[in-house]
Amino acid sequence: MYLPDFDFYAPESMQETCELLARLGSRAKVISGGTDMMVKMKHALLSPEVLVSIKNLSRLTNIYYDEGKGVVIGASATLNDIGNSLLLQEKYLSVCEAAHHMANNQIRNIATIGGNIVNAVPSADFPPILIALGASVKLVGSSGERTIPLEEFFTGPSKSVIAQDEILTEVIIPDQHTTGSTYIKFGLRRSGALAVVGVAVAVTMDGDVCKDARIALGAVAPVPDRARKAENLLKGKAITKELLEEVGKCAAAESKPISDIRGSAEYRRDMVRVFTKRALSKAISEGHV
Amino acid sequence: MSENYAVIGKSVPRIDAFDKLTGRAKYTGDLKFPNMLVGKLLTSPYAHARILSIDTSEAEKLPGVKAIITHKDVPSMKYGLSPARWDETIFCIDKVRFYGDKVAAVAAIDEETVQKALKLIKVDYEVLPAVFDPFEAMKEGAPQIFEEYPRNINTEIHHHFGDVEKAFKEAYYVRTDRFEGQRTYQCPIEPHASIAFWSGKRVTVYSAIQSVHYLQHYLARVFDMKEGDVRVLKTHIGGGFGGKLDPSGLDFAAVALSQKTGRPVKMFFDREDMFFNGRGRHPITMEVTSGVTKEGKLLGVHCNFVMEGGAYTGLGVASAYYAGSLLTVLYDFENYKFDMLRAVTNLPPNGAQRGHGQPQPRYAFESHLDNIAKELGIDPIEIRLINARRPGTVTLNGYNVDSYGLVEALEKARDISGWQEKKGKLPSGRGIGVGNGGFVSGAGYAIYRTDLPHSVAVIKVTDDGTSAILYVGAVEIGQGSDTVLCQMAAEAMGYRYEDMKIVAADTDLAAHDFGAYASRQTLMSGWAVKRAGGEVKKFILETAADLMKVNPEELDCRDGIVFVKANPEVTKTFAEVARTYFVNGGQLIGRGFYKPPKLGGPHKGSAVGTSPAYSCATQVSEVEIDEETGEVKVLGAWDVHDCGMVINPALLHGQVHGAFYMGMGETIWEEVLFDKNGKLLNGNLAEYRLPTALDMPPVTSELVDTVDPNAPWGVKEVGEGATTPTLGCISNAIFDAIGVQIKSLPISYEKIWHALKEKKEKEKSES
Amino acid sequence: MQAIEDKNGVKRFVITLNVNGDSYTKVVKANMTLANFLRDELDLTGTKKGCELGDCGACTVLLDGKPIDSCMMLAVYADGRKITTIEGVAQNEKMDKLQESFAENAAVQCGYCTPGMVLSAKALLTSNPHPTELDVREAIAGNLCRCTGYVNIVKAVLAAADEA
Repeated sequence: MYLPDFDFYAPESMQETCELLARLGSRAKVISGGTDMMVKMKHALLSPEVLVSIKNLSRLTNIYYDEGKGVVIGASATLNDIGNSLLLQEKYLSVCEAAHHMANNQIRNIATIGGNIVNAVPSADFPPILIALGASVKLVGSSGERTIPLEEFFTGPSKSVIAQDEILTEVIIPDQHTTGSTYIKFGLRRSGALAVVGVAVAVTMDGDVCKDARIALGAVAPVPDRARKAENLLKGKAITKELLEEVGKCAAAESKPISDIRGSAEYRRDMVRVFTKRALSKAISEGHV
Repeated sequence: MSENYAVIGKSVPRIDAFDKLTGRAKYTGDLKFPNMLVGKLLTSPYAHARILSIDTSEAEKLPGVKAIITHKDVPSMKYGLSPARWDETIFCIDKVRFYGDKVAAVAAIDEETVQKALKLIKVDYEVLPAVFDPFEAMKEGAPQIFEEYPRNINTEIHHHFGDVEKAFKEAYYVRTDRFEGQRTYQCPIEPHASIAFWSGKRVTVYSAIQSVHYLQHYLARVFDMKEGDVRVLKTHIGGGFGGKLDPSGLDFAAVALSQKTGRPVKMFFDREDMFFNGRGRHPITMEVTSGVTKEGKLLGVHCNFVMEGGAYTGLGVASAYYAGSLLTVLYDFENYKFDMLRAVTNLPPNGAQRGHGQPQPRYAFESHLDNIAKELGIDPIEIRLINARRPGTVTLNGYNVDSYGLVEALEKARDISGWQEKKGKLPSGRGIGVGNGGFVSGAGYAIYRTDLPHSVAVIKVTDDGTSAILYVGAVEIGQGSDTVLCQMAAEAMGYRYEDMKIVAADTDLAAHDFGAYASRQTLMSGWAVKRAGGEVKKFILETAADLMKVNPEELDCRDGIVFVKANPEVTKTFAEVARTYFVNGGQLIGRGFYKPPKLGGPHKGSAVGTSPAYSCATQVSEVEIDEETGEVKVLGAWDVHDCGMVINPALLHGQVHGAFYMGMGETIWEEVLFDKNGKLLNGNLAEYRLPTALDMPPVTSELVDTVDPNAPWGVKEVGEGATTPTLGCISNAIFDAIGVQIKSLPISYEKIWHALKEKKEKEKSES
Repeated sequence: MQAIEDKNGVKRFVITLNVNGDSYTKVVKANMTLANFLRDELDLTGTKKGCELGDCGACTVLLDGKPIDSCMMLAVYADGRKITTIEGVAQNEKMDKLQESFAENAAVQCGYCTPGMVLSAKALLTSNPHPTELDVREAIAGNLCRCTGYVNIVKAVLAAADEA
């Protein structure tokens, strides 16, 4: 297989990057890890005239804690950077676990969190857990920067609010009262599988009463989204097996899966029920964020 | 196996391990020749269409493009397997018959140029209605894919032995089950490649091919050349599993393009092309009816099968025969009816995949047998013991089965898997299942009608006797034939494995052999090698006898040392004896060949299924089903094999592991999918799901002790036989776990979920 | 990274990489993958192409010690980096302990997945000298093998770890 021809730039600064993107307009696409991009190009689904690499923007690989902001993950941090990050393992282990189950080890050393978000594939694994944790993303363009809650970022399959001349530079997970969170990915084999259904939850427990809950679903709608009705069923209630079953059913009803070669809509909907239950149970019993 | 052999029976390291582990081993796609061009095929974007015109002018103008060929530039002779079904041409002439069919080929200076050129070739098609389902294809009024196959029926088989109707009347219980097998693909990790270059009127072809002989034969015939002017050879091959036996378009295109350009041309497939090339397992609908006694003894069986052949025949015709013929080997019954229809469809052609038509019928029969066992209240292993073929018997369709350790395999499998402690006693969602299988150790007849020997071997001992070179036509595709044949050569000569070298599968330099398929090489190439080695040993002992002033009968040779049997301290080295032979008589050469005896009955198609020896095996697997999601976890697998004498135990067990792995993948995860226009949907290794290391259970592989009298040292096959029990074994385990039998493969998570859902609803409505 | 334009305006880049301890400087187009660079520009054909889409791992190489699918990386990205291919594992005709273990444990059949498999396993043992069986399976989950069912491969890696 071969990649179509393209022009290539590797700017050294954010300013240079933004100027380049503004000048090139729709002729250009940003590339970081490139694992999604390369596959699409090899299948001739994408043929950008120009690729602008952000690999030289070294700050974009940093993962750090910013007092007042929260945990900041640079967009070019690879999946394994994230999985192996001591800071994230301490503060948001569920994000590390999500990273760990994506693709395979070789891809995890190349693919980036920025790419996983910006490509806006409905079955992407980071968006659900990040949405459940209330994350935001920072977008930098030639006209300035803006920070957007991740749940407002996606507008459709492969579509988002990012402008032509913007790059996603960081993911910010704010400090929060969450006592337990997890992401369960249901794939058709134990490695190298896209999510048929992805469920992320973040709960704030007080004893066995759920004070707050966020449930985010992936792969079962045009965009990753929260199951708000299901969340409301939990708030203020004591957790019982029956309640979790009800919450699962509710989340399933809120999902909008399609049928494709990986599974039928009916199957996916029932899997939302099963994995919402299981994710909540796991997040509560394991008690780590 | 209790004999004291010097070399065979030992797990010596592979002869090619170093090269493969260090990256030194070159595969066809790695080879480079000076001035070489690369090439690819242009394939059809329609499942069924008439070719109105092909315009290559734009593509030819592209700098770097050196030649483009279509059907106008190559012979139009049809090729295939059996003459009645020579239905394929190098390129499509008047129409394309599947999405991916061969239309043209381009040779250019690099891959990038080739890909660009392919896009510039303009083909004008008239799209025709297509048909993808074999039942639809056989209906009146369905689109006709070939003129020569009315109603698209490509192979029709009706065998009847004994009287099944009578048997069913006399039976205590008669039952019919219907199962479906899906289209799977071999997916060797190495994609196919082929390189050709000419020297005057002679062409040399390097191909990732499972038989250099057959390829040489087809190329010579189609290009109207003398076989002696076509040299086919191979370098390392990255797996075949049956998919690299039919000649692919690459071989013919490489020959034609290299002749046209006067330069070496390397043709290659990428992964999606491999799926277009097809030649994998046929989808098949299987209706099985059996009549049994109250004790569970089979009285008669009727198999009524319909196979979906894809667009061309190739090896598919043999698979159609094997699908039914071998069912009579495993279990002994006296009345059998086998009806088969193989229909062509507008999808990639199906051929031969590990087990050659047997695995899915085996799955159907093993599942069917478990249903009978359940109905009669008999343990699944018990019912198989009752029906298992005993050694020294003849099947009703005329196969002589000499050694056959199925009873021992069943008993041992029952022991080592903990069957009795587990069956019926596992918690909900856990199940244990058994399946039997086996295969031919080489086919009794060649793929085309010929009187050639099946295998020839030549051994040349080097001048100073410090090494010996084995020349065989057998093809190493990963199964270990190079290693095992060198062990056999060393054993036969009384020589050392470490001093062996091998020149294999080169129609110029090596000896003749039909190649790697139908699990033939250990037995058949082995015979030729044993005889060649025996001849060398004879010369050595005669020469040594002279030197040592004794009679040759008083001597033996082992591990490279010639010794007096009565007084083993009196020795001479093989090397010095060999050198003496060379000095006096010229090159020390031993030759051997093998031709199977005439096998099989008088009925049509009786040739397929004949073999000098048959392997068998029992597999048990334990599974755990997540009852809410249908996810399957295979917890463990046990295989007990009768493969006769084992030449290299480590390699043998490796074959069992791999065969189980492949069968497991086909049972649960693998399926080739198309859209409603016949376009391939999952021609990649993300959506065609091969199990990963995280999906594979522990496998316990053990043996039973048999020695087959028709084989060198009593060897039998293992490579394909070990996949034949797997599909039935795992599906029976799943049935045991969830109480519902899923009658179509693959038994995917969603199918299990659906079956459990239906079961729950049925129980609710009944209560 | 310096770029050169030819008379047709086609850009090529001068890249310098260290491969198996040796430094190479070559001129490549941006659309060349690292896998094709290693195989075609440097004649290091030990790195195989099985799918070219990052699914099979046959093209695995170590990039600054980390296993990656070289078919999924642009050659220009490897500028200034250190690559280890299978040809760089054995030293002076002597296989390393892991390779020996593969040979002794019959972990090689057709051999096509072997280079990638060895490199994934090697990276694991470097960062985790005493892996559990699960660790090994996770490390090679991105390397597909159609011949062995992974049984002897896992055995070989654990045996090599034990010996260390």
